[in-house]
Amino acid sequence: MIWFPQLSSGATGQFPIQRTRLARTVVNQSAEDYEVKLADPGAAITEWHLSFQELSDQELAALEALFQAVEGSLTPFTFLDPADNLLAWSEAQNQAAWQADPLLTLTGGLADPLGGTGAYQVSNPTSATLTLQQSISAPLSLDYCLSLYACSSQSTRVWLVRGSQSDARTISPQWTRLTSAGTLTGSGDTISFGIALDPGTTLDIFGMQAEAQTTASPYKKTAETGGVYSNARFRDDTLTITTVGPGRHSCELDVINVEHL
Amino acid sequence: MFPTLKTGAVMQYPAKRTLQFNTGIIRFLDGTEQRYRDSPSVLHTWTIQLDLLDEEELAALDQFFVTNQGKFGSFSFTDPWDGTVYPDCSLSADSFSFQLQEEMRGRTTLTVRENRT
Repeated sequence: MIWFPQLSSGATGQFPIQRTRLARTVVNQSAEDYEVKLADPGAAITEWHLSFQELSDQELAALEALFQAVEGSLTPFTFLDPADNLLAWSEAQNQAAWQADPLLTLTGGLADPLGGTGAYQVSNPTSATLTLQQSISAPLSLDYCLSLYACSSQSTRVWLVRGSQSDARTISPQWTRLTSAGTLTGSGDTISFGIALDPGTTLDIFGMQAEAQTTASPYKKTAETGGVYSNARFRDDTLTITTVGPGRHSCELDVINVEHL
Repeated sequence: MFPTLKTGAVMQYPAKRTLQFNTGIIRFLDGTEQRYRDSPSVLHTWTIQLDLLDEEELAALDQFFVTNQGKFGSFSFTDPWDGTVYPDCSLSADSFSFQLQEEMRGRTTLTVRENRT
């Protein structure tokens, strides 16, 4: 797997970041303004304009290596959206994207800390540790941050699972945002994020979010797709780099994801 | 429903609203003209310029665009000027773009158009 590199800070992008989504709708419009519309979801395009300032030699070398490896706009790479939640169905843990261990019970439609009804109650009635996870196609070796809101009046601990790493976090009856972040050792093209429940644990969860960075940003709800783009490409065949001093580089580039290519 | 900001508002200043009639005109050789309605009623368009949004608000707008598949989908929109609910509206464009200048400094523009029903 070829992927877009992270900076030494663990971030994929710098501010300002611009993202554009393009859809295609076929419209048959009558003279009286009546319209018949037909969606063309396969033609969707997502585009990012990324500006990088004060890149070090190593950071620039990683960008250049990617650009050369994919030969400009010719071949695809994996891009982890720096402005999105990598997990799909962040408020629908009953979807197939989530893998719940057998006997783990999920109840949805509960009040969440943001004023909606997107929270789930998760219960482990067994005597073994059970997990609720989602796997994404992304390199194991990057920096990731998993975050979620959790509360429980019955249990005091939940495990945040990030690949092979599990971090215990204390929960209370009040909604608290929990995070687990860091770099994992090893290599691989998939990584799982989720929670593990001790035997007999019951808790409410909301807003599960994974990001390719070292800290959590505000929660972003996702539906059928998260921020993992396996078919991303450089939009252009040129990469222009400006160097203003030793180890001080800047460049701007555009990344596009076109599913029908 | 069109997503609201954390303040509960739909739009920020400057807010733009357009009313669109569709009048057909036949001009005669002597300079006179005959006018007629080419569509039955006025159509409303709202240009929603939003600034200083946080990532959560931007994500909600982004999801709204994705859910609607651009201008394909239909939703109800409440006119913030007078509270009138327009039950059949669409986004007017097949593109949605936002810019994050820094944390809590997101900016975007959307245009909502009333559909002829």
